This record gives sequence, structure tokens and C-alpha cells, in this order.
Amino acid sequence: MKYLLKIEVSLKSGHSDPEGETTNKLLTELGYIVDSVDVSKLYTIQLNAKNLKDAKLKAEEMCNRLLANPTKDNYSILIEEQE
Amino acid sequence: MDFQILVIPGGFSFGDYVRAGVILARLLSAKLDKEIRDFVEDNRAILGICNGFQVLVEYGLLPGFEGISEYPEATLTTNIPQGYNCRWIHIKQENKNKCKFTNNIQFGKILNLPIAHSEGRFLFPKEKEEQLIEKLYENDMIVLRYCDEKGELAEKEYPINPNGSLEDIAGICNKEGNIFGLMPHPERAFYWWQKPNWTKNKQISEYGDGKLIFENIIDNLI
Amino acid sequence: MSSNLIIQNKPNSKLYEIDLVKASNKELVKISTNFSLGLNLREMKTVQKYFQKQQRYPTYLELETIAQTWSEHCFHKTFKGTIKINNKEIKSLLKTYISKVTKEINPDWCVSVFEDNAGIVNFNKEYGIAAKVETHNHPSAVEPFGGAATGVGGVIRDVLGVWADPIACTDVLGFGPLNFDYRKLPLGVKHPKYVYMGVTAGISAYGNNMGIPTVNGAIYFDESYTGNVIVYCGCLGLVPLSKFRKNAKPNDIILLVGGKTGRDGIHGVTFASTELTEESEVISRPAVQIADPIQEEKVKRAIIEVRDRELASAITDLGGGGLSSAIGETAERYNCGAVVELQKVPLKNKDLAPWEIYISESQERMLLIIPPENLEKTLEIFSKEDVDATAIGKLISKRILKLIFGTEVVANLDMSFIFSPPLSQKKAIHKKRKFIEPILKEPENLNEEIMQILSAPNIASKESIIRTYDHEVKGNTTLKPLQGKYSGPNDAAVIKPLQKSWKGIVISCGMNPKYGKIETYWMAASSIDEAIRNNIAVGGRRIALLDNFTWGNPEKQERLGSLVKACEACYDIALAFKTPFISGKDSLYNESPLGSVTPTLLISAVGIIPDIRKTVSMEIKNPQNMLYIIGKTYDELGGSEYYSSKGFLGKNVPKVRPKQAINNFNAITKAIDSNLIESCHDISEGGIAVSAAEMAFSGGHGIKIDLLKIPNERIDRNDTLLFSESNSRFLIEVNKKSKNKLEKLLKGTVFSEIGEITEKPNFSVNGLNGKTVIDMEIRNLRKSWIGTFNREVKKNKTRRN
Repeated sequence: MKYLLKIEVSLKSGHSDPEGETTNKLLTELGYIVDSVDVSKLYTIQLNAKNLKDAKLKAEEMCNRLLANPTKDNYSILIEEQE
Repeated sequence: MDFQILVIPGGFSFGDYVRAGVILARLLSAKLDKEIRDFVEDNRAILGICNGFQVLVEYGLLPGFEGISEYPEATLTTNIPQGYNCRWIHIKQENKNKCKFTNNIQFGKILNLPIAHSEGRFLFPKEKEEQLIEKLYENDMIVLRYCDEKGELAEKEYPINPNGSLEDIAGICNKEGNIFGLMPHPERAFYWWQKPNWTKNKQISEYGDGKLIFENIIDNLI
Repeated sequence: MSSNLIIQNKPNSKLYEIDLVKASNKELVKISTNFSLGLNLREMKTVQKYFQKQQRYPTYLELETIAQTWSEHCFHKTFKGTIKINNKEIKSLLKTYISKVTKEINPDWCVSVFEDNAGIVNFNKEYGIAAKVETHNHPSAVEPFGGAATGVGGVIRDVLGVWADPIACTDVLGFGPLNFDYRKLPLGVKHPKYVYMGVTAGISAYGNNMGIPTVNGAIYFDESYTGNVIVYCGCLGLVPLSKFRKNAKPNDIILLVGGKTGRDGIHGVTFASTELTEESEVISRPAVQIADPIQEEKVKRAIIEVRDRELASAITDLGGGGLSSAIGETAERYNCGAVVELQKVPLKNKDLAPWEIYISESQERMLLIIPPENLEKTLEIFSKEDVDATAIGKLISKRILKLIFGTEVVANLDMSFIFSPPLSQKKAIHKKRKFIEPILKEPENLNEEIMQILSAPNIASKESIIRTYDHEVKGNTTLKPLQGKYSGPNDAAVIKPLQKSWKGIVISCGMNPKYGKIETYWMAASSIDEAIRNNIAVGGRRIALLDNFTWGNPEKQERLGSLVKACEACYDIALAFKTPFISGKDSLYNESPLGSVTPTLLISAVGIIPDIRKTVSMEIKNPQNMLYIIGKTYDELGGSEYYSSKGFLGKNVPKVRPKQAINNFNAITKAIDSNLIESCHDISEGGIAVSAAEMAFSGGHGIKIDLLKIPNERIDRNDTLLFSESNSRFLIEVNKKSKNKLEKLLKGTVFSEIGEITEKPNFSVNGLNGKTVIDMEIRNLRKSWIGTFNREVKKNKTRRN
């Protein structure tokens, strides 16, 4: 089966996000009233897996092994079945 | 096992994509995990400089509280203030005698080395921060900390601490002292003419402070 | 486009032909416009005549090939064509002025000039220095990050393209004022701040990732750069002279290496040769290239191995015009023809048409010419680095360019036709425009003035940007762009490229766009003087120059006239200084809805220093030392920072007086070699005042100057003496013990002891009437200088939950 994974890796709360803060400052300078900017990464992955459960397992494994560092990152996974 | 030291140098391995150092770390563990574990168990020396330090942390070789960890226990993340920063800084050698790369360098000695990175802020998970820092001290795993030219610790003040690193950490070693990672570049402070102020002092016969680290590990091998 | 002009040969064929043979003049122009060929009527008629003679229609690919080869970007029509100016006819700007300098000086240390991807001069017996500076203005205007990054990538490949190992990058940038009013920004023009952030990030990303230090550069601000950003990217390399090979011959294989070919950068060349308009934002998107420094790093490693094993007979980079320029120019250089099978080119997008493949400007690609017997070994090297390498054709003895796609011949052109475009014929006028000197009341004291000028964007410290470039990776940067504890602005960078030699390479630049607003002749002359004196100031000598022109539309006669004047200055001044030009690049058509770009000539200087241990930095070393000035000060405030701070341009633009200048340069070199100079700083924007202030606060000591002692030509004002920007001058710090030796050595040079270094950390100046005109603490001066572009974040904050 083919699955479409959307994995978003974002910073855990409590950690500073210099990229977000810099962007925030610039947007403010451009005249927008901005309360906060959080930056995250979105990975869109085409995955082959046995079934939905297997896909979910593999997605979590990817996060733990490569995409997220548990020290600072949260991740969320969205799975779509494709035909 | 023909070699005694493994050095992972600086650079942008795999473009720092995903996270600085993580792709090389995963690739090494996929291809050479057994060799690296044997190397570590045999108490041979591993040095990670800059991107190499990031690789060691992502691999789980550092801090390595309980040996090699499956997932990273710490991170080297985006500098505060944000962005790449290339400058000479001062660091203090604060390892008592565990680290094989610094045990001949006097405790408290101030070294002048350059840094050049955008992800050098050492960090623990928020919830375990205090406890893990405690552990670093307890096990004599802290090696280098950012300070001013007189040796006063930066206490996160920029640019003395150039990246906002926790506890002003610039370099740590594992519990056994054979694995050492640091953000500054000792290899760029090897000769006197690499130093930023040599045209003023004309100390033409002197080496840079970086040489001490390389000398130290080689002395330990002999 | 009018579809009745296109003829599709067979159903499902990729071969389109264009009905050109019977086209009227009007239709010819329409064809050029509709297909974005960028060819004028004269050129289109030459094409028409060729195909009438061939008795066939051109294929679309053939038209594109011709358009690319004849473009301003690839062929430099303006610099090679004829220009009529004030009843005079100039055959070629390049041959009449720029390369003529080198020809007349004919130095035996020049290895290759104006011929290859980069100029090459000797370093020592074994090695040559390769140098190239590129302009990447148009791509950076459309996409600042990508444009600047690919600019760096491109110029690194230029240096690889002469078998040199890249060792240092430079960059000189020009932006509009960062506080430009958003509401006044026309559609299609990006805000200077956005462009500034994107461009500087792009440069640092590429150089840092490649592990090549960015060691020298400058950032200028000018209203006219708002719509026309200036991005000059330079690279230096070291080439073992025995490996500099050029011996390609028929039957050698054409090997395409590096990244895959995609739709990126299509029509970049014709785009760079026209004006930017509102629509550029939309139409130019495909012209934007994506940078991949990691790919280029691997390509670099493989190429260096191919070089060392001497497997190739020629090499060139794929830049503007893509395959079409690289293949055509290589075949032409070795007096060959070429056959290429386009279906073999590795693609990013499968649906690319043959013409797109042939002109795509996808990045990180290079072309190698390999004798058949070496092909296998070469392929192994690339496969080891995990880099694509594909044989796509070969050189042939017949002088034709034959392109094949699958089973179809999609182009078949005579080489002699492609490489003899009709010379452009342009008209230019040069009129002396009227400028006036402002009438300014002389201020009582100049404390406010010096603070204001130090914080002016063109003078203020660029530390916050320079530190985002890794300027010491490789560990060979012995004089860094920022000097010592206080990050003083060094005049040049010094690289020590070889482990076992004390010899160094000295890199500097000069650029004075403000003078160009008054008179481009003196602007060009001043840029040359500045580049050279920066080099001399740290100990450089035997200097080679690189020229980079950024100008407006050369079809406009007055703009072209000012270009001719600048070229005249290049000839006059460089010849007088005996500094040959070795490479150059021009970017014309820099026009935007906000108007034309201020004529801007960048001069880069590459010198050598026999022993880097003699290098002199710019910061004051010790109290009790004395301060000398070398060179005469004239009433030359036209285009100065002082006038600009008062809202004026003025008229008396700084001139160059070669005889005096040469005396000064030689004196400094001799004094440095005799160890008589503790620190040295050139005098440029902001005059003596800025130069001395920078020396003081960068060294952490005070300076006291007496204006009565400054050698000058009838100046009776303190402000003129302090802020005049006369060329060819230096400030030097001298130990009292060296006084006699130095003064003896300086005989015949205009010089004077003008003050002293003080324990008291103040910059103070005694005026002509004996009263103090400046007295400021150096830390306050430094604060003004640092403040303009400083990083603001000081304390670490954690993010809110």
C-alpha cells in the first residue's frame, strides 16, 4: 500500500526559537501587529507500507531516528492512504 | 583497528539538512556502528570539531551518560542571536582530569580559539535540564566554557558566549573521557599566523592555543 | 505568439521550425520579441540571410542557440562592437582600452588573460593564482537569496574551469537605502532590506557550505541600487601550472558532469541583457536558479582529482547560456566542431524540450573534454563522489555544430556563422554636465560631523554581515577582514596558501559610485587607485586588476558615453601604474522603474606579498608612536561622504595624479619591507578624519592630529582638510626610533609627521587657527561606527509557552 505522510517537526514549548523571533521582529518592522511566530519543518513523504498500522509505526520510527531530536523537537504525523 | 584516534572535522556534512550533523551520524551508525562501538569500548579516542561535535551528539556518543544512547540526549541548536558567527572567542579549560584531550592543560587555563557556526547552542531537554547539568559536573564531563579574556564566565552574555549555550558550554566529553566534542576550531589556531592579533604582538615563534589539544591527545598515546 | 510562424515537421516531433525565410522586417522583430530572443533587427536579418542561403527554415533550437551566443551576456556586444562618440569611432572598448593595458605592459608574470573562465597570474614557480569576479545583479534582483548564492557558485566554477582549486571568495554588494519608504516602492521592485538580507544570506550560505573563506568585500548604499541591486562575486584559486591543460582535439568526448538539467535559469542570459520592468517579477521566475553547494563541493573534489591525474584535455563551466555557450565556445576555442546527443543529458523534469535542455542554466554543472582512452577512469572518479557524469557527444574536425535529439537532427549550424555575429554599432555622446560646489558655513567644531559620517551606511562597520561569512575556513587567512579585538576594518586580506612558503596573496578592492555621479572618468580612476592603495597598505605588490562594470542601458547615448569615459580612465591609469587587467565582466541594462543605476565600476586587485610576516594591519599599536601622512590633500569634496551628510553632491571629484601616486605607493612598500611601519591605513571615504578615527578605536589608543602640518594644495578650512577624499594617501604609525630612517626613505615623496598616538583614549584634532576642532572619546566614535548595523539581540530570551 502507498501512504502519504505529512510530518511536522516543531520546537517544544519552553525552548527559544531565534528564527521565529527574528521573523517576528521583521514582520513587526513591516507594520504588522504580530504576537508570535513559530517556525516548523514539514516533510511530505511517499511511503510504502503493509497497512495503516505499519505506516504509523514506520513514521514514528523515522521521527525518532532522524527527523526529530527529542531534546527539543515535537513531531506530529498525518497519514493519508493513497488508492 | 589500525587507528588510535577518530576525528570528525568541521564542515557542513550533507548541507546541514534536517539538523546539523544528523545525516552523517545516522549514516555512520548504519554503516559503521559495530566498528565505532568496538572503538569506543577499547577506550580509543574520538574527537568531534564543530560539525563533528554535532555529529557526535546526534549519534548519541555525547554526552553518553550511560554509554552510547539510542536517541540523542542533548542538542546543538540555532545560535542566539540567530545566524552564522565567525569570530575568535575565549574559553576556559574546566575539566579536572578525565578528558584525554585536555588532561595536560591546566585547570582554568584560558584558550583563544575561533568559532564559525550557526548551530552551537548546547541544550538539554527542558524538563531534565538541571538534573543533567548536575550529572555533567558530577562526572567531570564539562571541558570548555566560554569566558572573557580575563577568565570571567560569560553567563550567556553575547558575544562572550557567542551562541547562547547552556552553562556557557563550548565542549564536553563522555563519562570515560575518551570522546570529546567542541564547537571552536583548534585546527584554525595551530600556528601563530592564524591568530587574529599577531600583527600587533609579533609573537612570531609561538603556536596558537589549538595545538595544545592535539599535542595532549598524542602525548596520551605515547 | 503568432502560431502561423511555427511549423511542426511531423506529428509528435520535438522539432519545430520557424518560418523566417520570407519574414518581413516587422515580422522578424516580432519573432525576436515573442520568443524572447533579445536579437535586434540587424541581427535577425543576418540570421535570415544565413537560412535563405541554406534554403531552409531554422529550427527553434537553432534560433535559441544563435540568440544565446550573440547575447550581451555571452558575447559582450557593447564592449566588442563599434561606438561612435563625438566624431570618433572606437572599434572595441575591450581592445582599445582594457585589454590594451595588459598588451602594452606585457608582464611576464601573466599566464592567461581575458581568454579562459578566469585570469591567471604567477604565484611562484609551481603555482598560478586564478582570479575571477562575476556580476550577478539581475538574478539577485528577482530572487535575492538564490541569485546571490548561485553567483558565488558560478564564480567558483569559473575558477575550477581553469583547473584551479578555489581558496578564497570576495563579494562587493550595492543596495538601496535600508530605510527606503515602503509606500514609494514601485510594483516589481523588492524592498532594499529584503534584498539586503537575502543577498547576504545567500552569499554566506554558499561560501560557508563549500568551505571556502569569504575574505574581502564591501557594501555600498545608493538610491539607484533600490531597483538595481549590485552583486559582485569573486573567487581566487590556486592552480599547479603544469596541470593547466588546454589541448582538446577532434574525437575527444564531451562529458557533462554535476547536477541534473532542469527548467531553472531558462533565458537567464537574454534576461540579463534587457531592462528589468514591472513584469520581470513574473516573466523572470524561470530564470531563477536554485543553488546546491553540497553538489558543487563534490564536483570540485572530482575535478581536482581528474586534474591531478591529467585525464582531461579541456574544461569549462556551465554558466550563462548553459550547454549552448559551453559547447559552442569550447569547440570554437580548439578550432573544432561538435556533435551532441541531447537525449543523453540527465534531466530533472522528463518533459524538457530539446531547446530547453540546450539553454538551461541549471547550476553545479561543468563540461569536461576527455580523450576516449581516459573516459572510463574519469567516470570512476565521478561515480566515487556520487556525481553524475555523462558522455553527451564529441568534438569533430568538421567546423559544424550538430545537435541530435533521439533520431532527429535538431540543429546543424556552421561554427563560423555562430561565432561571427554582426558587430554592434552604437552611438554615444559625452557632454560635460554642470555641477557646483555647495556654499557651506564651516562649523566651529566638527564633533557632530565626524560622528555622523562614521555612522553613515557606506562607512559604518559591516561586522554584523562579515561575521556571517566564514572568513577563515581552511585556516590560511593571515590578515582577516576584521582586525583584532575591536574588529577594525583592514584594507585588504592576506592568504598564505602553501604550508611550506611564507609567500602570500593580497586581495583588495576599490569602488566609488558617488564620484560616478559627477564624472565617470575620475570615478574609474579613483576605483583603480583605491584598489591598489588598499593592497599596498598591507604589504601587497605586483598587482593585477579585475574590472566589473555595472551600467545602465547602453542604447541610451549618454549612458554609453559615460561608459566610454570610464574605459578611457581604465587605460590611462592602469597603464601608468603598470597594473594589467587580467579578467573582467560587464553588466549593462541595469534599469528599473526607479531609473538607471549609478555607473559603478568595481576594481579588484590581486597582489602578492613575498613574506607574510611583513604584513601590516590598520589598528594603532602603541602610544608614544608618531602618525605620518603620505600624499597631498586637495580640495576634493565632490561626491564625498561629508557633502553627502550635508545633502550635497558637489563638483570637485577626487582626481588621480599618477606620478605622485606611484611615488607614494613605492615609498609605502619600501617602508614596509624595511620594518618601519607599525600600522597603515588608506585614506578614502570620509578622508583623514575617518581613517585616523578608525585606526584609533581599532587599536584602543588615542590619536592627536595637527591640521597645520597636513601637506595640501591651498586649503584654508578645517573641514576640507579633514574630509577631502583625495586619492593616493595613507596614514602610517611610526616608532620614534624609526623616524630618521623613514624620513630618509620618504625623500621625494609628499609626507609629513602630523600627530601622535596618545595614552589618553581620545581622538583630538587641532585646527588651522590653533583651536581644537575635534575632541571625542574613541569609544564613543566606535559606538557610532558600530551602531548602524549592529546585531540588536543581547540577552537570551526563552520562548513563551
